[in-house]
Amino acid sequence: MGRKILLIEDDRETASYLSKGLNQEGHSVELATNGQDGLFRATDGSFDLIVLDRMLPVLDGLSVLKALRAARIDTPVLILSALASVGDRIEGLECGSDDYLVKPFSFAELLARVNALLRRRESRVDPTEHRLTVGDLEIDPLSRSVKRAGRKLDLKPREYLLLEYFARNEGRVVTRTMLLEQVWDYHFDPGTNVIDVHVSRLRRKLDEGFEKPLLHTVRGAGYMLAA
Amino acid sequence: MPVPTTLRIALLAGLLALISNLAVISFIYLRTHDDAVLTVRQQVAEQAKVLADVYRTGGRPALDDAVQDTMTYGDPQTVIALIEPNGLEPLGNLETRPPSFLPRQEGYQNVLVRLKGQPTPREAAIVVHRLPSGEWLASGRIAGEGYAIRETLERSMFIAVVVAVLLGLLCGVVLAQYVGQRIGDIAAVANRISARDLSQRVPLSGAGDAFDRLGSQINAMLDRITGLMEELRLLTDSLAHDLRSPVSRLRSAAQAAAETTDPQEQEEQLGNVIRQADALMRILSGVLEISRSEALTGRNQFTWFDAGELASELAEMYDPLAEERGARLDFDRPVRPVPLFGHRQLLAQAISNLVENAIRYGSSGGEIQVRVGPGERFIRIEVGDRGPGIPAERRAEARRRFGRLDSSRSDEGAGLGLALAEAIAHLHEGRLILEDNGPGLLTVLELPVHAQQARAA
Repeated sequence: MGRKILLIEDDRETASYLSKGLNQEGHSVELATNGQDGLFRATDGSFDLIVLDRMLPVLDGLSVLKALRAARIDTPVLILSALASVGDRIEGLECGSDDYLVKPFSFAELLARVNALLRRRESRVDPTEHRLTVGDLEIDPLSRSVKRAGRKLDLKPREYLLLEYFARNEGRVVTRTMLLEQVWDYHFDPGTNVIDVHVSRLRRKLDEGFEKPLLHTVRGAGYMLAA
Repeated sequence: MPVPTTLRIALLAGLLALISNLAVISFIYLRTHDDAVLTVRQQVAEQAKVLADVYRTGGRPALDDAVQDTMTYGDPQTVIALIEPNGLEPLGNLETRPPSFLPRQEGYQNVLVRLKGQPTPREAAIVVHRLPSGEWLASGRIAGEGYAIRETLERSMFIAVVVAVLLGLLCGVVLAQYVGQRIGDIAAVANRISARDLSQRVPLSGAGDAFDRLGSQINAMLDRITGLMEELRLLTDSLAHDLRSPVSRLRSAAQAAAETTDPQEQEEQLGNVIRQADALMRILSGVLEISRSEALTGRNQFTWFDAGELASELAEMYDPLAEERGARLDFDRPVRPVPLFGHRQLLAQAISNLVENAIRYGSSGGEIQVRVGPGERFIRIEVGDRGPGIPAERRAEARRRFGRLDSSRSDEGAGLGLALAEAIAHLHEGRLILEDNGPGLLTVLELPVHAQQARAA
């Protein structure tokens, strides 16, 4: 379960808080405190994930990222940044990062994203090839049909996408922001509980009439699909 | 006042006066000079022709008489001479001893001659003709008259040039003084503004000239700056005011968490701390997003997309929320795609702000409409509700940052939604319109098509 994570972050307090938290989750964390050092360590490609601060001394985060991608090192990269505008987020993603998290963030949010990225690395399979199953739930990505305990569920297209994203992150916390970014592809903070409304609709179709709920609320963090 | 500039303007004006006067004068000079020469030449040719006619009809004796007559009765400027082939015994008024002039070839010529009884040689225009019997006949005029005119002309022209240069310099000085004073007025205002008195304005003469235009442009710029500073002051004030409540809530939650001994309450209070901190962050990122849009950054992320599809996506996204709040969200997707060149993410945010506003304040009306109106000049993205609406006199207040109309300032919404939508409309060279929806509020993002095409090209 434990993975190798490279943390490139110059703020000592944030760095120690993050490495402590990630260590507790069973990952081993190596720290680089400037961009050049971080790039040097990252080039051996032995890490499972790089958590990269955007504003770094010597070499800034986006330059590190571009250099890595130019050297064909495709370790997943999660960018941390105090630059919160929509344009900044998109710029970060366009430079080849796999995810972008705005400071300040909750550790739960970071952990959810780290786990999602690690899992994606683990299961590099054709997303259309396999049936997804969670307990008695069966999802066929090809026909986009969903069955629970053999009974067909009637989902709207967006509800299906939501469920498929949950299923691909089975057993892991998924945050509201992750849902907005991954399922809707929007990068702003909505001022309402619009995501929760969608999730509770999905939950009604998914869990109503079944004894054991599959879609759980994780307090202070988000949601999780688990048998 | 900057003297060198004044001097430069004066010299320039003087120089221009000199050049233009010289041009006029040389034109007059050349024309009059040519005229004088031409007149003399015509007279001389006429005279020679008459004498030639006399010789042809009456032979030498008649010619001798004619020469004699011309000498006696002609005007004193006339030159006439009949010279033997050996150059001796000239008949006429030409003095040949010492020989001042002896004709050696035929035709019209300008030469120096001395007349009988005259002490000095003078310039004359004459025609020389050789008779068949070998004598030379020379007739013409002393060019004195023409040359005298020319001399007078030259003298007066010289005076005219001197006067023109002096007048030019004088004009230049006056002009420079005038320009200097008008510019000095503007500079004085600028000086006072640098000394932090923004209420100063450039005085206008009312003539509507270039100086007035410059002055009114500067005044308009000052008005804009004053407006911006006022807006900034308001924003800072309201930002401070708006941050005050979440910060104090944050502080009391943190304090409660620190003081309590009950672990469950402590957890609750800590959760409260995080929520308040998040609310603060949202306000700050909202303000940041607005200033970035107003500074027009992000135009490099413009792409072509279908506005109808975007609005349809957002309508679908907000439909369950509206339903939960007791309203129906209607969306008519346009039949054809509505191509729009813009920042898809920011426009999504602007539209979602308008929809969220409609849901938040207009759900009581039971109906929310989202429409995309493709037009020749504008693409209109409309969100209308049937709620209480906003009275016309309060709409300006509503679109201001932190301009929330219910002073209670409840938890939802930082009051940045409309301000951000407007900033995003400005980023696309468009505007945000608030209208009466009879009843309810109609908010419209009006985005010009030409700006998009120009930018995409």
